[in-house]
Amino acid sequence: MDDLGKIISLVLICVPLSLMSFGGGQTIHAGLQQQTVEVQHWLTSREFTDLFAISKTAPGPATLIVALIGWHIAGIWGALAGTVAIFLPSSLLICGVGQIWQRHHGSIWSNALEKGLMPVAVGLILAGAVGVARIADLGIADGVAIAATMAILRYTSLGPYPILAAVGGLYFLADLAGVAT
Amino acid sequence: MTDMDASDASDPPIETRAQYVPLNHILLSFLKLGSTSFGGGSVGWINREVVDRRGWISEEKFMQILTVALAMPGANPVNLAVYVGLQLRGYLGAAVAAFGMIAPPFVIILLFSITYSRIASYPHAQAVLGGLACVGLSAMMLTGIKSASRIRKNIPGIAIAAGTFVAVALLRLPMIEVVLVVVPLSVGLCWWQERAKRHG
Repeated sequence: MDDLGKIISLVLICVPLSLMSFGGGQTIHAGLQQQTVEVQHWLTSREFTDLFAISKTAPGPATLIVALIGWHIAGIWGALAGTVAIFLPSSLLICGVGQIWQRHHGSIWSNALEKGLMPVAVGLILAGAVGVARIADLGIADGVAIAATMAILRYTSLGPYPILAAVGGLYFLADLAGVAT
Repeated sequence: MTDMDASDASDPPIETRAQYVPLNHILLSFLKLGSTSFGGGSVGWINREVVDRRGWISEEKFMQILTVALAMPGANPVNLAVYVGLQLRGYLGAAVAAFGMIAPPFVIILLFSITYSRIASYPHAQAVLGGLACVGLSAMMLTGIKSASRIRKNIPGIAIAAGTFVAVALLRLPMIEVVLVVVPLSVGLCWWQERAKRHG
């Protein structure tokens, strides 16, 4: 039961990450990458980048990358176990803490929590972006594409599908024409 | 409650807490939200559905719920779904809403990955996936920059954010250990500031 061992390891990786993922799913990428690529060697850097790309292309929270990792290492049970392990702990926590928080809204502690968690989330989101950029082995053309995409996201209300289609199409054409990206 | 604004007087008061929302309505709404929502955009879609279209909770309540959902660990749309479900129908409502929010993208992402392993052998697929990763990276960096701008007037906050970033991204220290050190530090600092503010 090699798969069972891997599933248990995945759950043990996901549960603490679930409780630490302040600021949304994006903050866990740095930790997931460390554990799955550098510690467990389940994935190569290249494979992690591919799973990241898929998780960003599909709808739903970026956290669902754990379903892909689970699928990769142990099939459907790995995907289910990873998904439950990443969402259940944080969901139970929000049920419990949320009720207490609502009761003490406006107290010193609830204000301190609201304000104190924000900077940590900022640091983790940016660190996650750097981690992905590092393993994606970016070139100058990628830098231009990222800057342009950020401008489009910032200044238009375009949904993700047209942007993904346009950028994917451009990369396809560039690759077809033999331009290195 | 005590708000007797003239513009609100024409609107009938909505007794949101007393309203009984059937579980299958919660399930249907969140299945729909789960299949159409994308990362950052889903907060807006959930707001539209539960406040504007269904009238299940008030805008004010939604904003309180949103603050908690954003501040707590976990994916923001899922946290939001759990908390809205909890408000409407207790733990069962929370479970149903979370299932609706997660199940469609779970199925879709696995279908994507199956297709992916088939298309990965095509010569240009790697280039296209590289481009898609760049779009994901852009969205992530923009979220980081947007949230960073929310703390730009808060010097200790900037220091905490910078310290967290350096520790995880540059020194590559384990994230969980960093969080366990930085969160109590940051929350403690804010608590001290809040207390100082209240006691003059």
